[in-house]
Amino acid sequence: MKQLLFLFPIFLIGFICKGQTPVKLAPPLLKYQSVFFKNRASVELKFAQQGTQIYYTLNNRTPTIKDKVYRKPIQIKKSFTTLKAMTTGEEFTSSEIVAATFIKDGINVRSIQQMPANERFQGNGPNTLIDNEGGLPAIGSKTWLGYQQDSVEINVVLEGKQKLTTILINCLQDHGSWVFLPEQVLVYQSGGNTQSFQLAGERLDAVNENISVASCVPVQVLLSKKITTDKIKIVIRGIKSLPEWHPGKGRPGWLFIDEIKLY
Amino acid sequence: MLRRNFIKNSSVLSAGVLSQPGFLFKEDPLLGQGNKRYRLNTKWSMADVARNPVNDCHEMVQDSKGRIILLTNETKNNVLIYDKGGKLLSSWGSEYPGAHGLTLFNENGTDVLFICDNNRHQVIKTTLDGKVLLVLDYPRETGQYSKAEEYVPTETAIAPNGDIYVADGYGKDFIVRYDSTGRYISHFGGKGTESKHLSNAHGICVDQRNPHQPCLIVTSRQQNAFKRYTPDGVYIDTIPLPGAWVCRPVIKGDYLYAAVLQSNSQQGKQSGFVTILDKDLKVVSNLGGSEPQYVDHKLEEMYQTIKYFQYPHDVCVDDEENLYIAQWNSGKVYPYKLSPVI
Repeated sequence: MKQLLFLFPIFLIGFICKGQTPVKLAPPLLKYQSVFFKNRASVELKFAQQGTQIYYTLNNRTPTIKDKVYRKPIQIKKSFTTLKAMTTGEEFTSSEIVAATFIKDGINVRSIQQMPANERFQGNGPNTLIDNEGGLPAIGSKTWLGYQQDSVEINVVLEGKQKLTTILINCLQDHGSWVFLPEQVLVYQSGGNTQSFQLAGERLDAVNENISVASCVPVQVLLSKKITTDKIKIVIRGIKSLPEWHPGKGRPGWLFIDEIKLY
Repeated sequence: MLRRNFIKNSSVLSAGVLSQPGFLFKEDPLLGQGNKRYRLNTKWSMADVARNPVNDCHEMVQDSKGRIILLTNETKNNVLIYDKGGKLLSSWGSEYPGAHGLTLFNENGTDVLFICDNNRHQVIKTTLDGKVLLVLDYPRETGQYSKAEEYVPTETAIAPNGDIYVADGYGKDFIVRYDSTGRYISHFGGKGTESKHLSNAHGICVDQRNPHQPCLIVTSRQQNAFKRYTPDGVYIDTIPLPGAWVCRPVIKGDYLYAAVLQSNSQQGKQSGFVTILDKDLKVVSNLGGSEPQYVDHKLEEMYQTIKYFQYPHDVCVDDEENLYIAQWNSGKVYPYKLSPVI
């Protein structure tokens, strides 16, 4: 018995030494057609790794092991629902969080015209911003228009005069790939004739701190008042130069957009 | 007395820690699935980083004497030669700043190396100790190139008769075939939208598993696929590997091994793994990756599940079925070794 008592701390220390930080899991695979939907979006989460589980939330909170375990595809009907998911396993460190916000269609757009994007990131062509496709947080996804210039101008023609309160621009944030959110978005409404536009709303955002995970961010501009118009012009200003903490500090950043919604 | 007891107990404790009885201590998790499972050793290399540093570890091969040869674009020592236990035996090479592809060929009983250099836009054939035997410049004869910079060879494969196939994986994606003396024979592949075309032809190998129908397997990395061609360059078929940025195919025995640089779903995020295909070209195991799943004979998207690797770039399989994994842009780490679990 005395010998057993003596051996106990040996095993205990063995456990501690063996218990170096366990290797980290990768996040689950999020499978969906697009984050934009008319009636409902269906989302599948995948992680084919024994001894692990996927936990997720739909209330914008960081998932923990007290949240729901993923078992079957999730149906989303409410606009601006954010799904956050992670993987855990007894022998591993939990993964980073992956997230996606699902957005319901807005007011119909007759036509849209935007400045030409960088030749490497041309999206799905001229209607990329109104095709209800997108929201995949990978710069390689063919839904993104990528710009590396001071400002991007977009002209939108509506189906006749419509009441508007909010403009949404879906952007990619992927600091590791030098893709940042806009610093400023300006929205102008048509003054009646084609030449004159009046400022209807503005949004300014400071560059946020370093975020390691790529995500899609629906940047919303709330108009100063409800407007009625058949044309709007949107001017998006990207980050002028990368911040001090970034490996590419001082150099130009990228702006990635894949959809515009009007409400 | 107290001190003596402490030392005595400490030594017993150390012994306990080192021996780690299996019945009580958890083993390291295994990588992979089915019959292709491995245990990982990240400390295989015993090289001294101050004397023999590496940059990107691009490719590895085993020579006839059983030694493991690593190619890195660190010009202090482009080639590191190890024994299987990880002891560094020798090193050479300072003139390969873009060292990328490494292929070993046994030429009439003598091992020779073929190095693809991205920066020099050349393929260089050397002896095992670095003596240059042949240099292939950009393939002007193809009529496809007007200057060396357009040609960025990433890999070679050598046919049993000595014919040299060069994959221009970071250039125009052509496969250029030469005879053993370096005389141009033909070219195929290239960029385009047809099935026979390639997109990032990063690797190539000669598959002789069916001796009656040898073929070439070529990587089309941006398409997440391998493509097969006859030895004359006629397209046969495509082996889709959805989600996987596969590097070069490496055949050993019945199996095909490939490093997957990254998962399509997690690009730029150190999301690599290693994939293994059986002789029917079916994925049977992913090391650090998702368990392969076929639905209606179609492979489901693959992805990294456990972050054992960052950006694996090549697999070398030795004569005892151990794997060595060379990694690109992964903090200048030396290769890892994986031992099969029976």
